[in-house]
Amino acid sequence: MAALETSTRPPRRADPTKFFFIMPAVIWVLLFTIFPLLYALYTSFFSFRFGRINQFVGFANYVRLFTDSNLHNGLRVTLTFVLVTVTIQMLLGFSLALLLNREMRGKSILRAIMVLPLFATPVAVGYLSITLFYEINGPINELLRALGGTGIPWLSNPFWALVAVIIIDIWQWTPFVFLVSLAALQGLPADLYEAAEVDGASGWQSFRSITLPLMTPILWLILLLRLVEAFKVFDIPTSLTLGGPGRATEVYSLFTYRTALRFFDHGYAAAQGFLLLFIVSLIVALLFGRIRSIYQEERS
Amino acid sequence: MRRRTSPVQAILIGGVMGVALLWVLFPFYWAFVNSIKKPADTFRSGAWVPFLQFQPTLEHWISELAILEIRQALINSTIIALGAATLAVLLGTLAAYALARFRFGKSGNANLTTWFISQRILPPVVVVIPFFLIMRQLQLLDNVFSLVLLNATFTLPFPVIILSQMIRELPQELEEAALVDGANVFQAFTRVVLPLILPGLVATWIICMAFSWNEFLFALSLTTNRAIPMPVIIAGAEHTRGVQFWFVGVRVMLTMLPPIVFALLAQRYIIRGLTLGAVKG
Repeated sequence: MAALETSTRPPRRADPTKFFFIMPAVIWVLLFTIFPLLYALYTSFFSFRFGRINQFVGFANYVRLFTDSNLHNGLRVTLTFVLVTVTIQMLLGFSLALLLNREMRGKSILRAIMVLPLFATPVAVGYLSITLFYEINGPINELLRALGGTGIPWLSNPFWALVAVIIIDIWQWTPFVFLVSLAALQGLPADLYEAAEVDGASGWQSFRSITLPLMTPILWLILLLRLVEAFKVFDIPTSLTLGGPGRATEVYSLFTYRTALRFFDHGYAAAQGFLLLFIVSLIVALLFGRIRSIYQEERS
Repeated sequence: MRRRTSPVQAILIGGVMGVALLWVLFPFYWAFVNSIKKPADTFRSGAWVPFLQFQPTLEHWISELAILEIRQALINSTIIALGAATLAVLLGTLAAYALARFRFGKSGNANLTTWFISQRILPPVVVVIPFFLIMRQLQLLDNVFSLVLLNATFTLPFPVIILSQMIRELPQELEEAALVDGANVFQAFTRVVLPLILPGLVATWIICMAFSWNEFLFALSLTTNRAIPMPVIIAGAEHTRGVQFWFVGVRVMLTMLPPIVFALLAQRYIIRGLTLGAVKG
């Protein structure tokens, strides 16, 4: 990522005191991000026994990535999770923002309520969901039965367990897409819409030719942030389903966590971490070009 | 945007809003209502309104808060949140001032900013192994101090991005006037800039507290006993002792309440923080 400066003025001084201000944070990040990353890289070339370095194995841990079916399962579960959750969150969040982007009462209360899921401890949400999806007398199955359906075996069936995890993530993060879209929509220039209305443009036309083009960079940004965050998923499947039944909800991070801290195979876990970092960096690299304009516009 | 809303539209919008609010709020209400139900009432359907449909009780709150591990976990979570947020804001404010007011080479400012916020892209599971090995070496496993350090690191992007934007929005003349009057750079920073960004600074501090309170992966990996915070207490407990809705309710409330209150307090800056400064909200 590059060019995230929002100033309209050039910073002014070439004063050496600037290092006093910046260095603590720089040293901190070097110490707590760069050094651990290098250490992880080093670790990934060794095999471990009983949690201690055993011997240098070269790229063997990376070669294992290609043949480990459990890892591939984790990757598949995570990809499914990411695609489904992010797609639904984007569509639902943006549509809601479009619908509610107008003058009305109670908007600030609505916004305050929508913030709540974003900050609800994810582990606690997952834990609470055990009761929400409880098969005998959980409220979701009770509602389904009241509507004339049958209860769903949410947590004991591999397919439905993943659906449950996905539903909870949608609950937690759709408000993020909604709030950011709404904030961006309200920042759009009102005179453009007035001009379009004077020219007799229909609602759909002004949406197509004003709203959508102006919102595109922001939507890419939201998509990027959601994708990056969704690939890290760990808390909800860990607390709601423990990765089960079987390995149906064992997402990538959970599998790596278990490799590292259940089986103490630190070298292999480090290699897995780098594969995930590679995937996430690839997404950022592919999408960043599309959001750069947000920052450039601000500077001009 | 300026279009008038027809009655049909108004009903449609009201309906959608109602469903959305119900959907968002239901889990919170479910946690709350179960936490004050007698066990027998949690098995009974149609017990939604306290006093009318069931007799509420505080017994589960009292018995959960009497558990030593829960109290210790609440204390640990508080220490982690306060410590990490304070550290992050301290380091972040200084860096934010440097990025807003000084020039670091041709595109140094932009690159530094990017470098700071790129930590939010790093999947935590990549660094959980080295942190575990390093903390074991330093004998900091099962020590809240290690979690203070890590959460400060991963929340540092929030103060850097939010506060550097705020400082850029301040008129530079104020500081220049102070400098002309004989103040040095540090005095201009502490006496002119800091008071002006105080609301944003407090909000950022609160956001960092919420994120540190909610963090789970590092907490799970680096604590085993006396340093365990609330998110680790809560994870998986039910899988070992069977589902007791009333205890789930209390524990979920105890864990979620602080970050939710934080979120409401810092609302104005949340969008800016979560979009890494791109959307001001």
